[in-house]
Amino acid sequence: MNCDDSRIYLPAYLDDELDVAESLRVQKHLLECGDCQRVQDQELALRSALRDPELYAHPSAEFLRRIETAISTAALGQARSARSFGFEVFQLGWFRWVPAIAALLILAIGTFLALNSLQSSHEEIVAKAVLAGHIRSLQENHLIDVPSSDRHTVKPWFQGRLDFSPPVPDLSDPGWPLIGGRLDYVDGRPVAVLVYQRRMHKINVFLWPNHGSANDDIRQEDAQGYQILHWNGAEDTYWVVSDLNRSELLQLARVLRGH
Amino acid sequence: MSPHLTSAYNLAKWLTSSHEDAEDIVQEAFLRAFSAFESFRGDDPKPWLLTIVRNTSMTLLKRNLNTGATIRFEEVLEDPRERSPDPEQTLLISCDREEVRQALEQLPVDFREAVVLREIEGLSYKEIAATTGVPLGTVMSRLSRGRDCLKRILSTPRSVRTKEGASLR
Repeated sequence: MNCDDSRIYLPAYLDDELDVAESLRVQKHLLECGDCQRVQDQELALRSALRDPELYAHPSAEFLRRIETAISTAALGQARSARSFGFEVFQLGWFRWVPAIAALLILAIGTFLALNSLQSSHEEIVAKAVLAGHIRSLQENHLIDVPSSDRHTVKPWFQGRLDFSPPVPDLSDPGWPLIGGRLDYVDGRPVAVLVYQRRMHKINVFLWPNHGSANDDIRQEDAQGYQILHWNGAEDTYWVVSDLNRSELLQLARVLRGH
Repeated sequence: MSPHLTSAYNLAKWLTSSHEDAEDIVQEAFLRAFSAFESFRGDDPKPWLLTIVRNTSMTLLKRNLNTGATIRFEEVLEDPRERSPDPEQTLLISCDREEVRQALEQLPVDFREAVVLREIEGLSYKEIAATTGVPLGTVMSRLSRGRDCLKRILSTPRSVRTKEGASLR
């Protein structure tokens, strides 16, 4: 690779958007070329200046409340207009059997929902708890009990706080820096949470010993804009939650499963 | 939807440079998103919501097209090759938050949008393409031109600025 090619590939390389082979070619050229290294330094300086968290524009709490009210009012309005439409149809006298059908439908839907909630599996309950834990961790500024990117600090911290020793892999090389760990309480037991980061996205990895059967298939779910991944490893049960896109989160899950 | 409200506001604020406009846009976009939510089919609603926010912002920007701002853009874009800084000066990128903020606000809106979504919002190229509705190649060229403009604005040697400031006094 020459300097012209390197300059073209450099931004995508620093943005982590090149495949492995291309990354290696850029890396190799950078090791050999002082001019390109200086350009890289400048690109990095610009990136770090732009990633100043103060540049992120946050809405006010009052505004967030206002939007939530507006959305629920709109929801109410939609329900109301739907009702009045049904009434007009009835008035026209075309569908005198509308109430009967509506009653049957309500009965059917009610039965369906009741059966469904009875069947709502243990797994769904855990998924909700894990998601709630993730959202709470972001809301109350309680993301991390032990802030450290060093697995040798995070892993010993769990000792004495849990009845198991969670694996804490260092994934900074594939692009998933560890930012810390914390305790949470899920499924009736204290669990370990490892917090990784990808760009601006925080990723909570919940894990605890798996006493049931192992099933390495990664199951996926999305709820309220978050992605939830889950598998039962031979030793531990894993739940991974983030607002990161699904394909990248799956990459992380596969790396974790391999460790 | 709520985890995306903050992202939506951040984008609208950077596109319009106005707190009030950003609030109006996010409110309108979320109500519109809400009424269209049934028509949404896909894995991740975030790019879809951000698309509504950026389209609403762009409509508003076109309506209040500010000629003064346009002239500033042209100044920034002039002769990129000739004024390309030499390697000795390239390291003088200012990290002063207010200078960075002003530099970013000066960028043409297409470039600013790409840079904000990438650096401040942390989206991948693919997510930016989905949000802005342009091909991946366009995302990359807007990002690189936006960054080049920023480097040019922010790497003006400090000594020159001080001299200008001194001669004014």
